[in-house]
Amino acid sequence: MMAPLAFAWRTLVRQPARSALGVLGVAAVGALLLDMLLLSEGLVLSMRELLDRMGFDVRVTAGEALPGAGPDIANATAAAAAIAALPSVRRVTSIRSEDAELRFRDQRVDGVFLGVGADARLWTIVRGREPTAPREVVVNQYAAETLRIEPGATLTLSAYCGTEDAAPPALSFRVSGVAELPFERPGTASGATLLADLEAACGEPGAGLADFLAVTSAGDASAAAAAIAAARPDLTAFTNDQLIGRMQQGGFTYFRQISTVLATITMTFALLLITVLLTVSVNQRLGEVAALRALGFSQRRVVLDVLCESALIVGTGGALSVPIGLLLAGWLDAILKRMPGIPTQMHFFVFEPEALGIHAGLLAATALLAAAYPMRVVARLPIAATLRNEVIS
Amino acid sequence: MSGANGLIVSADRITRVFPMPAGPVVAVRAVTLTVAPGDHIAIRGPSGCGKSTLLHMLGCVDAPSSGTLVFEGRDIATLNDRSRSLLRLRHIGFVFQRFFLLPMLTAAENVELPQAEAGVPARERRRRSIELLEYVGLGARADHRPSQLSGGEMQRVAIARALANRPRLLLADEPTGELDQGTGEQVAALLDRVNTDGTALVIVTHDPALAGRAGRVLTMRDGGIEAEARQ
Repeated sequence: MMAPLAFAWRTLVRQPARSALGVLGVAAVGALLLDMLLLSEGLVLSMRELLDRMGFDVRVTAGEALPGAGPDIANATAAAAAIAALPSVRRVTSIRSEDAELRFRDQRVDGVFLGVGADARLWTIVRGREPTAPREVVVNQYAAETLRIEPGATLTLSAYCGTEDAAPPALSFRVSGVAELPFERPGTASGATLLADLEAACGEPGAGLADFLAVTSAGDASAAAAAIAAARPDLTAFTNDQLIGRMQQGGFTYFRQISTVLATITMTFALLLITVLLTVSVNQRLGEVAALRALGFSQRRVVLDVLCESALIVGTGGALSVPIGLLLAGWLDAILKRMPGIPTQMHFFVFEPEALGIHAGLLAATALLAAAYPMRVVARLPIAATLRNEVIS
Repeated sequence: MSGANGLIVSADRITRVFPMPAGPVVAVRAVTLTVAPGDHIAIRGPSGCGKSTLLHMLGCVDAPSSGTLVFEGRDIATLNDRSRSLLRLRHIGFVFQRFFLLPMLTAAENVELPQAEAGVPARERRRRSIELLEYVGLGARADHRPSQLSGGEMQRVAIARALANRPRLLLADEPTGELDQGTGEQVAALLDRVNTDGTALVIVTHDPALAGRAGRVLTMRDGGIEAEARQ
């Protein structure tokens, strides 16, 4: 009962409304802080997970731009063959996507049509099976729901292939399955098939164009990228780490900056809140503190009591802030993912244990800093003058 | 433990000056005073004459601006804050006009506080607290909070708290100042008993009846001791 922490607890319970306000304030601020920490790395972690999940650790493009953002690779078939021959490379596949219109009976929807090399499977089958024969396609869940199609149905597909004015003739495809496609966007119909069928739909059989080549290294992605760069200096090879690095230098850095600013503001708010609460509490008890000092309580002990009060408020509020923050993160993530162009599998808020550690560390620092001023007040309290003033007042 | 001369406190021409914007104020002026084991001293005088300031210096919560104050052989000027805290904890008890009991603790817990700070084991300090509360006539009120006690009862708990670590010197600043006459009498009788049981007592008071119980009465005026009477 008399240990500083227990003593601080009794002091806080003495003013339950004030203490509860402090705890709730820290819980709210702590939840925001946790969300900012999750946001600061969320996109990077999510993108990394998405890249790794596809089973490729090197991507090759025609220019310096990121995959899908630059020019097509001309004669990709030959490039893929040359890269596949490298000892540091285990597997290469060409990937190309085009805008397309998907039709089934009287339903039609605009979307994206993806073509991949024969041995690549970038998607996860939800129902049905893989496209194994020519003119077979998998569609995403949105396309299946919008067109009301299931595996076995035959849909008509018109690919635009960069020239909307001169669309090639539509082709019929049999739906072999419904799948989750990589980087699919909410509210966007997507289909995927073999690259040869995409070229046929574009009216360019054997064109050999690709947005990029996806490569699986023999174990060392950096070595594979270096070997590709040496073998094909006209192409650019990115490891997943390099891709993430490029993205961090680009748009992802805004989220980090925003989260840093907001985290700093929330921390400052928590600091002021706790400092004010503790200072008011201490100022109301100056007579008691002076009496305890007169009775022989050490300066260290009365300072420790204040620190423990701060730790209890911030600790309790911080513990509450974790579930609140996670719930809030899920809600905010759902809101942000409604932005156009965000792949379904991408998340803005991604939980990682390290964020929880930083959250705890920052809150601990807040507790310490917030207690600094009231600790100074009790540490420098003139005992005799305070006792005298208490009697006069 | 007493000083080499057997005294608990020996003050030699101690002065306390407070710097003020309008100029320094001398609260205590060259007071020489000794407190021996078993002494019962009352300090009287008009408001603002320096009684409480002198008491605070004798209790080592304030330091003289000049002069020498020796507590049980140790010159207070040579002690740091931690050493003074330890000295107060183990050798001095304080009773305040406004009690200063902690409202969130029971009477027994308030009495346990200084013992806990002194490192007394929990079982021992609980036993000692009950014993002291019985000593001040409040054994049945051990688990009551201060808000459930009368003013006189709170002051008796405060006296029990001041005695918790068996101090050799008990200092009381207007201990009956907030009590009615009857309750004040009870507290005064209790303080007499504390003194009779071996604790030296220095009381600052305006109450002539309380001062009349002391063996020595010091009358202060303008920071100095104007008269000393033995009775």
